[in-house]
Amino acid sequence: MDMEGTYRIPAPREEVWKALNDPDILRECIPGCESLEMTSPTEMQAAVTSKIGPVKAKFKGTVTLQDLNPPESYTIVGEGKGGVAGFAKGSAGVHLTQEGDETVLTYTAKAQVGGKLAQLGSRLIDSTARKMADEFFGSFSEKVGASGAQQDTLDPGVASEAKRIATEHLPEDAVNALHDAEAAVEHAVEEVYHKAEDALHDVEEGYHKAEEKLEVAAGKGAYGGPMVWGLVALGALIIVLALMS
Amino acid sequence: MGVEGIGARARRKEDKRFITGKGKYTDDMTVPGMGYAAFVRSPHAHAKIVSIDASAALDMPGVDAVLTGEQLVGDGIGNLICGWMIHSKDGSPMNMGAWRALEPEIVRHVGQAVAVVVADTAAQAKDAAEAVMVEYEELDAVIDPVAALEEGAPQLHPEAPNNLIYDWEIGHEAAANAAFDSAAHVTTMEIHNNRLAPNPMEPRAALAVYDTAEEHYTLYTTSQNPHVARLVLSAFYNVAPEHKLRVIAPDVGGGFGSKIYIYPEEMVCLWASKRVGRPVKWVCDRTEAFLTDAHGRDHRSVAEMALDADHNITGLRVKTVANLGAYMSLFSSSVPTYLYATLLSGQYNIPAIHANVKAVYTNTVPVDAYRGAGRPEATYLLERMMETAAREIGMDPAEFRRKNFIRSFPHQTPVIMCYDAGDYDTTLDAAMKAIDYAGFPARKAEAASRGKLRGIGFSCYIEACGIAPSAAVGSLGAGVGLWESAEVRVNPVGTIEVLTGSHSHGQGHETTFAQLISERFGLDMDAVSIVHGDTDKVQFGMGTYGSRSGAVGMSAIVKALDKVEAKAKKIAAHLMEAAEGDIQIEGGELKVAGTDKKLSFTEVALAAYTAHNLPEGMEPGLKEGAFYDPTNFTFPAGTYICEVEVDPETGKTEIIDFVAADDFGKIINPMIVEGQVHGGLTQGIGQALLENATYDDSGQLITASYMDYCMPRADDLPAQFQLSTHETLCPGNPLGMKGCGEAGAIGSPPAVINAITDAIENNALDMPATPEKVWQLCRAQMKMAAE
Repeated sequence: MDMEGTYRIPAPREEVWKALNDPDILRECIPGCESLEMTSPTEMQAAVTSKIGPVKAKFKGTVTLQDLNPPESYTIVGEGKGGVAGFAKGSAGVHLTQEGDETVLTYTAKAQVGGKLAQLGSRLIDSTARKMADEFFGSFSEKVGASGAQQDTLDPGVASEAKRIATEHLPEDAVNALHDAEAAVEHAVEEVYHKAEDALHDVEEGYHKAEEKLEVAAGKGAYGGPMVWGLVALGALIIVLALMS
Repeated sequence: MGVEGIGARARRKEDKRFITGKGKYTDDMTVPGMGYAAFVRSPHAHAKIVSIDASAALDMPGVDAVLTGEQLVGDGIGNLICGWMIHSKDGSPMNMGAWRALEPEIVRHVGQAVAVVVADTAAQAKDAAEAVMVEYEELDAVIDPVAALEEGAPQLHPEAPNNLIYDWEIGHEAAANAAFDSAAHVTTMEIHNNRLAPNPMEPRAALAVYDTAEEHYTLYTTSQNPHVARLVLSAFYNVAPEHKLRVIAPDVGGGFGSKIYIYPEEMVCLWASKRVGRPVKWVCDRTEAFLTDAHGRDHRSVAEMALDADHNITGLRVKTVANLGAYMSLFSSSVPTYLYATLLSGQYNIPAIHANVKAVYTNTVPVDAYRGAGRPEATYLLERMMETAAREIGMDPAEFRRKNFIRSFPHQTPVIMCYDAGDYDTTLDAAMKAIDYAGFPARKAEAASRGKLRGIGFSCYIEACGIAPSAAVGSLGAGVGLWESAEVRVNPVGTIEVLTGSHSHGQGHETTFAQLISERFGLDMDAVSIVHGDTDKVQFGMGTYGSRSGAVGMSAIVKALDKVEAKAKKIAAHLMEAAEGDIQIEGGELKVAGTDKKLSFTEVALAAYTAHNLPEGMEPGLKEGAFYDPTNFTFPAGTYICEVEVDPETGKTEIIDFVAADDFGKIINPMIVEGQVHGGLTQGIGQALLENATYDDSGQLITASYMDYCMPRADDLPAQFQLSTHETLCPGNPLGMKGCGEAGAIGSPPAVINAITDAIENNALDMPATPEKVWQLCRAQMKMAAE
């Protein structure tokens, strides 16, 4: 699978860079991560328990950081073995740019899974990855954002969360998402208000996509806008890293 | 005709035990001290084995042993073989790579076994198998058969440069080219035949027992042909000499071809049972079945058909690339050659045909015969060509076929086969009447008013069954003869046991074969039992596949019955002091014609065994055996018509009506024949609409469970199939039978796809016709219409 995407993190670039290189933060943010040690400035050893569809396994492996160019970019390479569950390997180029007090993370990733993971889980990887990505960036933004950006700004996770739910679940969930967005809007400054508007718009758009998906009896339908794709893809990256680490 | 004789819709004798859950399958067999095997399988499509570390596994509870390919090869166990030699057009023999039951060096497909664990329980064996650490060094894999032939593609076997197994041809190239040079119209198509996983309800299983005192092996296994299994295991794999190996195939839950072959696992269980010193059982799980059962089909073809100005077919040219997977399975080489290209003439008079077939290695599980074996590929190609050509020349597809039908028999095709008998107009007429072809335009218009696209598609199939004349297939490279044997034992009380080399794994032999005896001697079916599937009971046999059990297996029984009847008549004549020629057998009695003198069959049987008063010099007993070797293939044929409705909004195809008009020659039990056709049609519809065994680019099988591999279900089928049969007797065998086991799966896919492409007016459709594919084509069609 080939993926690329962007994500906005409410913290200055240095903060994000530090966090991306901080085993403790990564361990706390990667879902199912049991241990993660820096064995050298560019190498991490980790154990992660992951479940994709029917396949649940503890993955052990190494992650190596290459082409380090702090605080702007690096390439992250890894391979993990889950015993009979199969293997996962991949690499991702990660790039950070500062925009105001936010940091924009862009990446392109390649990943390959094998064994039971591929035989039983291949069709579920996208959705599982999306879920894990939300979990990861939910807590990552929290941790990194806490020290950096102010609390009263709208967590961009809400907007994307709303999109995700609307595009993935049935209307009532989307309605809840709508409420979340609205709740967020109440505390929002004007600039944030626009974001929420987008969110509402995307929720509607999400409705149609969801309906289409129900109508079209056609395997995997396309999900929401590029932002959502970014999330999906980044999610996939994260799970692959999780599997690898 | 006896009440339960030929033509009677007799209830299946075997169903009592099956529908009450009393069937006895391999996994139902248990022996004291039995251990369980679990296999360690490759997660990679192509990789060097660097090391295998079994230490952790060996320390786990209940584990007896972990055996690897090194030990297997060390014990002199032979490589798996392909039993049909094909020569390339340059005369060179096919290039066969080595296939070991446990691979010690290089794995070539995901799921290939590299080690086996034997433990006290199945769970312990599986846990320990997960603890066997295998280090691999990955190699590039190639999945697409066309890409496998290209320069620089990853190479699977040193024996097969460029992954080419053979480059074979049939027919006359010059004659075919000439036909195209003078053609008024040429139809050209690229046609793929999708890859299928066989999915019998019962997965493969084996129980191997080694008797140290007798140095004798017994193998219970899911086989369609236990004698062939014993022959191959003995003669080629050196597991044990034939007289020290008993193979039993008890109740078997479906085969569809996939249980013809001798696979690594069954062989490893036999070997391990001696090496570990305890009986070893293995039962395949469903994902293992997807990964290791021989797949079917997987052809890529380019076909051209030449027509003259009067719409007569003058020539056919076909180039096919057949994917045989990572190794050559037992009959794999014959499927895309003599079981495929020899049927390319179909029901039509085609003066010139040339076919070229390249068989190719790829990093996928081996491909071999699957219900129809080559004939579905030929029929799908030819019948899509026929429909397409008819559309291109603006002729009714039925009339175009009728115009080119063969009508005089015997008919020698340009591709070896000589059709002995047939009546293709009658089955075409019957099918068109049944589906009300004349009324289709009205039905199409009515559907359109509901926003639905209605289409109709034809398929006039022919197949070659009654496999096969031994000398003929021998001359074509077969490693075995394809005759059948039978023994008829009349017991002193007049009951009868028929021992047959055919094997029933769903076909209902215990019923149809008994009906034959009932017909001959007027005995109750319950007085007859059919014995099969045990090499210690049945002297020899070639098994059941290629719709051969009726045409070949029952012919052998008929020959044995002739001998029994002759001897019984001699005895009766002697006892009743009448001329042998005056003895008639009727309703279970032997009568002297024109008198009231008679003896019951039982009395004659008893006399044969008491032997107190037999004709001078006659041996006691009433038991006869026979071998039957067919003189020709049989040629079942017929017309299938499918009518569909496509919803352009969803791409979903609904089969509204399906008509099958078949000519199977003599039919013994119409109910069982209908069951065979229903099953065949369902499998064919599954291939056309749903099934597709899919590997990703790295060689991972991503359809390895029912989450991703879609089998046909009741709601994918029409409310009922409209079946009819027409009987032109096969002159080649005593009963005039042709065979009915595969026809449904052979004839139905092109009918379905022709109907869908007719409905959506777009011919660029490959199987399976999933809603997504059909929806995309509908969209494309609307765009074109809009512009």
